[in-house]
Amino acid sequence: MPNAAALKVLVVDDQFSVRQMTRLALEKIGVRLIHEAENGQTAFATAVAQPLDLIISDFNMPEMDGIGLLRAVRGHQAIRKLPFILITGRGDRELVVKAAQAGVNNYVVKPFDEAILRQKMEAVLGRIQ
Amino acid sequence: MTTIDDLRQTFFEESAEGLEAIDTGLNDLNEQSPEETVNAVFRGIHSIKGGAGVFGFGSLVDFAHVFETVLDHVRHGKLAPAPQVVEVLQKANDTLSDLVAMARSGETPPANFDADSRSALKQLIGAGDDDDEKGAAADFDDIDFQPIRVDDAEFEPQTQRFDLTYRAAQAQYDDKFAAVLKGLRAVGRVTLQADIEGVPVLKECDPHEAYIVCSGTIEGELALAELRDIVSDIDPSESWSISDGDAAAASGTPVDQADMVPMVDAPPLADATPAEATPTEATVQAPAQAAEPQEPREASAKHSVTTTIRVDLEKIDRVVNMVGELVISQTMLGQLFQNVKGDAEGRMAQVLEDVFLHTRELKNSVMAMRAQPVRSVFQRMSRLVRELSVKTGKRVRLETFGEGTEVDKTVIERLSDPLTHIIRNSMDHGIETPERRRAAGKPEEGTITLLADQRSSRIIIEVSDNGAGIDAERVIKKARDQGLIPMEGHLSEDEINNLIFMPGFSTASGVSEISGRGVGMDVVRRNVQDLGGRITLKSTPGKGMTIQLALPLTLAVMDGMIVKVATETYVMPISSIVECIRPSASEYHSLLGTRGALRLRGAVVPIVYLSELFDLSSTRETTDESTVIIIETSEGVRLGIVVDQLLGHQQVVIKSIEENYGAVRGIAGATILGDGHVAFILDAERLGEFAKYPEFVTARKEQYVQ
Repeated sequence: MPNAAALKVLVVDDQFSVRQMTRLALEKIGVRLIHEAENGQTAFATAVAQPLDLIISDFNMPEMDGIGLLRAVRGHQAIRKLPFILITGRGDRELVVKAAQAGVNNYVVKPFDEAILRQKMEAVLGRIQ
Repeated sequence: MTTIDDLRQTFFEESAEGLEAIDTGLNDLNEQSPEETVNAVFRGIHSIKGGAGVFGFGSLVDFAHVFETVLDHVRHGKLAPAPQVVEVLQKANDTLSDLVAMARSGETPPANFDADSRSALKQLIGAGDDDDEKGAAADFDDIDFQPIRVDDAEFEPQTQRFDLTYRAAQAQYDDKFAAVLKGLRAVGRVTLQADIEGVPVLKECDPHEAYIVCSGTIEGELALAELRDIVSDIDPSESWSISDGDAAAASGTPVDQADMVPMVDAPPLADATPAEATPTEATVQAPAQAAEPQEPREASAKHSVTTTIRVDLEKIDRVVNMVGELVISQTMLGQLFQNVKGDAEGRMAQVLEDVFLHTRELKNSVMAMRAQPVRSVFQRMSRLVRELSVKTGKRVRLETFGEGTEVDKTVIERLSDPLTHIIRNSMDHGIETPERRRAAGKPEEGTITLLADQRSSRIIIEVSDNGAGIDAERVIKKARDQGLIPMEGHLSEDEINNLIFMPGFSTASGVSEISGRGVGMDVVRRNVQDLGGRITLKSTPGKGMTIQLALPLTLAVMDGMIVKVATETYVMPISSIVECIRPSASEYHSLLGTRGALRLRGAVVPIVYLSELFDLSSTRETTDESTVIIIETSEGVRLGIVVDQLLGHQQVVIKSIEENYGAVRGIAGATILGDGHVAFILDAERLGEFAKYPEFVTARKEQYVQ
């Protein structure tokens, strides 16, 4: 049962405002250890180098998109079990199917608030304290 | 504290960038353009859609989605970006930008606001109108995820050990050492040993020297970067270093290597080479990334080198203001210094010199912060030319040079209108129809050239076309018909060219859709003058014409000549000054109907006595000290301003008097001088009018009558 304050989460989005909104939601859940990356490449480098408990990533980014990041993570021995939540837009069904096949743990549809995010995180990580 | 409102603001800033990227991309988009162009446009739209989604701007998301879908078709080669397609896309971008603007101002877009653009987009990909996203599913819970089981055990912390070294450049007298130690102990087990071998005997000790070096290890859950963050938060100096065992060993830090635990189960570290160092790299499944792991990483490294931060313009403006105040204080200091006598004088002069130098440097740096390349404006123009080509049926190519030239943000913002106008004018009146061009032996495709260049403290923007140029006969006839000039008399080439800048002047026989809507070139000139710039025009009949704008680099601080008239002090902008002369009494002439004239190297230059103009004294006394400042207005009118004395050259900060008092003819603003007095800044443009209207023009008329 993970403790929110100890959770290390990596937020990946190329847009500063979206990253900050996600961060805000995470902080409301009680997560304090938040890394940010603005594309799949840097996110992957961070994921390999830092102990992480969860990646929350957008799909469309320059330099390796969300699915690319997901595949890279799933293919890397040390971090292949890392829980992964994809941020998607309404109606991006095709994308979610593709991500599910690539091994995504869950998705969150924009716009989301901390309640939705928490629910999705708990679906993946178990009840967050 | 970041609030959602702040973030919303950030989103709009990002959207502005996104819109610009889309605009740029669409301008470059054609059947041959590389994949990256389409991708850039797609990403721009997607980002706006993504952000809008997070912030709950529904109508923006809906429209962006349709737009994005079309771009997706282009991206996958299902739709060729032919010119008419690009035009629809550009219109869609306009709609998108309107929607963003509405979201920003909190307006709800009117019903069916985007309907036209939306159905045009849908037509491109053959989608029906009912195929809307409004009912799109917001959850996909029916999709079967195969979640990787995450046991609680997975959250067991991984312990890592790093080497810790403390080596200060000089003695520290604060408690940072203890604070760092405390911070590190909070997150891990720290062992640290002091090496006191380097400490000399007491009487040889330099109190500023740091002799003690500490080394040890820290063991904990946190990663290297996080530990480094903790340390640098407390002690930003580089006294502390934390590294993993290998790196430390390589740099020869005295650490007991026997103690080192080989890092078998810990992932490689952030600052060491990450992925490719691990043997598991080969199992990365994403083929594109695995195939070329080196290059993208280099790209992202490059990315991090050119870091930018987003700063509120208001904050920079505050700095600009403070620098302005500093310039004033510095000038005051300089003036006070002139009364200083004694031993300190030499050294003080030196220090003062440094202060001057640094202030100037500071001013330039701050101004550079406000500077932006003119590219964004130029890009808008290429779009305009494309649109107008379609509307007028004229074939025109726009060539741009010097897009990277940087200009003050305010100038950039206010440059768009006059440039748009000049280009509309060129397209409408300058460039001929393909048939007429062919008849004149010119290539059917006309060219408009946009050029930006920095020349000393001015930015030159030139718009030239290879069209028909100005038809002098027609211009004169129109001007006479409209009663702008007398029916008789000869006009010089410059005067004819300048007629098109006169209020009310229009050669358009009818009001066309493009130009001639009542706002003429006089507005352009007004705009440029408001920016402290000058506009000049050169025309060669049959060959084309060139309009040149000379703009100041900045609007806040300028170089001024301090002049004295009777008991008053004024500032004349250096940029308008051509030369300063001190003529002998015999060189002043009085000319019927003028305020006076001066013979200058064979030319007659009208003069204005500043004392008379501002009612400082009724006499036109000139003394040996009297100086004539020859200025040139943007219309090319030369004029001599008679002042009593030149006091010197100084950087002045422009303060608006319009805001606090009202506009005064002949005065551009005010500033505070070194001695604390307020002085008015003269407006060279308006002074030119004093010389010309009405007396000067009357005088010319009388001359002609003779």
